[in-house]
Amino acid sequence: MKKPYNETWINNLHIQNISQSWFKRNLITPKQFEKIILEFPESFYKPGIFVKTGLFLFTLLAGCFFSGFISLFFLENSTDKIFTVLSIVCSISYFFTLEYMIKDRKLYHSGIDNALLYMAAVAALIPLFLSFDHLKIWQYCLIILIVNSFLLARYADILIAFISVGALYVMFANVIVATPQLKPFLPFCLMLISAIIYSLNRINYGVYYTNCQIVIKIVALVIFYLGGNYYVVREGNALLSDLLTPIAPQIPFSGLFYILTMAIPVIYIYFGLQNKDRILFITGLLTTAFSVFTYRYYFDIIPMDLILVIAGSVVIILSVLCIKYLKTPRFGISDQKDESQSTANLEAMLIAHQFGQAPAGDQLHFGGGDFGGGGAGNSY
Amino acid sequence: MTTKSILESFINNGIIPEQQATLITEYERTKSFSIHRELRAILYVGITLLTTGLGILIYKNIDTIGHQAIIVLIAGSILACSYYLFKNRQPFSRGIVTNSDQFSQYVLILACTLFLILEGYLQYQYQFFGTRYGIAIFIPTVLFFFCAYRFDNRPVLSMAITGLASWLGLTISPLSVLEKNDFTAPGIIITGIILGIALVAFSWLSEKKEMKSHFGFTYILLGGNLAAISGLAGLFRNDPKILYFVITAALCAYLIQNARKNQSLLFLLMGVIYGYIAITYAAFVFLPDSILAGLSIFYFLFTSLGVLFFLLNVKKILRLKK
Repeated sequence: MKKPYNETWINNLHIQNISQSWFKRNLITPKQFEKIILEFPESFYKPGIFVKTGLFLFTLLAGCFFSGFISLFFLENSTDKIFTVLSIVCSISYFFTLEYMIKDRKLYHSGIDNALLYMAAVAALIPLFLSFDHLKIWQYCLIILIVNSFLLARYADILIAFISVGALYVMFANVIVATPQLKPFLPFCLMLISAIIYSLNRINYGVYYTNCQIVIKIVALVIFYLGGNYYVVREGNALLSDLLTPIAPQIPFSGLFYILTMAIPVIYIYFGLQNKDRILFITGLLTTAFSVFTYRYYFDIIPMDLILVIAGSVVIILSVLCIKYLKTPRFGISDQKDESQSTANLEAMLIAHQFGQAPAGDQLHFGGGDFGGGGAGNSY
Repeated sequence: MTTKSILESFINNGIIPEQQATLITEYERTKSFSIHRELRAILYVGITLLTTGLGILIYKNIDTIGHQAIIVLIAGSILACSYYLFKNRQPFSRGIVTNSDQFSQYVLILACTLFLILEGYLQYQYQFFGTRYGIAIFIPTVLFFFCAYRFDNRPVLSMAITGLASWLGLTISPLSVLEKNDFTAPGIIITGIILGIALVAFSWLSEKKEMKSHFGFTYILLGGNLAAISGLAGLFRNDPKILYFVITAALCAYLIQNARKNQSLLFLLMGVIYGYIAITYAAFVFLPDSILAGLSIFYFLFTSLGVLFFLLNVKKILRLKK
């Protein structure tokens, strides 16, 4: 399929980024770097994240009022048919503007094109949903999947990739739940689907789709973990069988799920470190946290506050030990500071958010309760 | 596209000699995997868990034997942290301190949070400050400001600004300015505007006097946000509207202007969004109805297109470098 974004430029951008990292490590000279920039040019419009956000928001605003403006002409009789026509008109206008803006302003996921694409996709789906009502969930998902797959292949947008893969999962899950023979094996089916998606996703589809592949990989890893997580399976089982008991009943194969809940994060972290795969590693860390939560949910022996203190101390000591241990790189893992991205300002804002929620009223009862606790609880 | 194919194309174009290419391949093969940021994030999560746990633990165990042990433990930890900070301190500098000890920042955050817990406990149990709650908030604020400047610590600076704001009865954290502040309370809008503008002015002064000019970002982000939202709240609620409009518009103009000087586009975004809301609201309030009737259909469509044009050409209009 012909792609709207200039593929040579995207490749050149990739080359420039890699050369820049070599340049920073003094592997190539400044002169060579300049020559690379000259030989592999690109002239995309790439604003910073904040201008991107602004462009995105104001494009959405303009798009909404454009559709509102169009609908003024059809105000008299608002039937489904009129609405269908209206959506098609809007969708075509958005797609046309999108293609024109990409060509004219050399956009490359710069906020405007993202917003136009999402609005166009939604406007294109509305008539399909209106003309086929009373379908099953998986049939709706199939429609979303088909439309989004075309958009994904053409525009390689990460949100579209996320929605496509989400629709795929919901579709399969819906079919499996509806089939009585397969229903008990839902977690294993989801894990199997994740594994298939993950292995298909390992093929390199080119620089054009790199970011989309990252999104799909994250989704596949997370669903694979959740499919084997004891908490999700037990509570999900109760939910699907409409069991209204306060405590979800024990599930078959519980031992297997215990093992999976513990083993998957460890496997993720191990292979993340071994293959130098940051996504696998970070997913492993986050799933570890969820596994700890799962354990704590069913084994409520020690009170919460004590757990927090112990866990906090253990985590602090572990990370400090790791930092000390990795002072000299070992096993290909290091604790080197990456100077390219400073997160100092972000950290400050996070802390301001965490400690900064003292409503005016609480000042009066400083002595009693949450506020006086300083860092105590989330309500401070 | 792999490293190998990129290097091959470089060699074919005569940019780098083959020998260098082998060197780069070797580097790519053996380079280490840095988990610096992940480790720091885990460390920070640990500090949060520990302080949250201690905070709850104290209140649950009040009036038991164990709780005195906890107090001693917290006080001891604060002393230990202070000792660590004192031992690893760097000489004071007006700029960024780059060669500081790698744990100092986190130890300081831990110490400051523990201090808050301890102070809150003393007030709860012994009414240490009586009913003068103001002082109880003011002391940590002053202390945190001092620590932030002495140890060059931006997170603690934001804790200090937060303390200052809550001393005045405000919530200042960017994500909760809107939901947590009760703008119907009398005086809160004026206080918000004054504190916000004071913080913005302070960032200007910091940069001008080159006194920790990298703190300017924190001041202007927290202050600008607070002042702009308070200004908008005033515009929506109070009279005279024209006064609030002028204040908000001037602030937005300053933020956009600041983006030009600091090359920081976050302030540009803040200025544009708050300015757009203020101008739109003012247009609908101040303009006579006869003009409005014709304008209202097209207003949003054309103004948002106008903003898009401005943002697309912002580099040219404001002469930004990057």
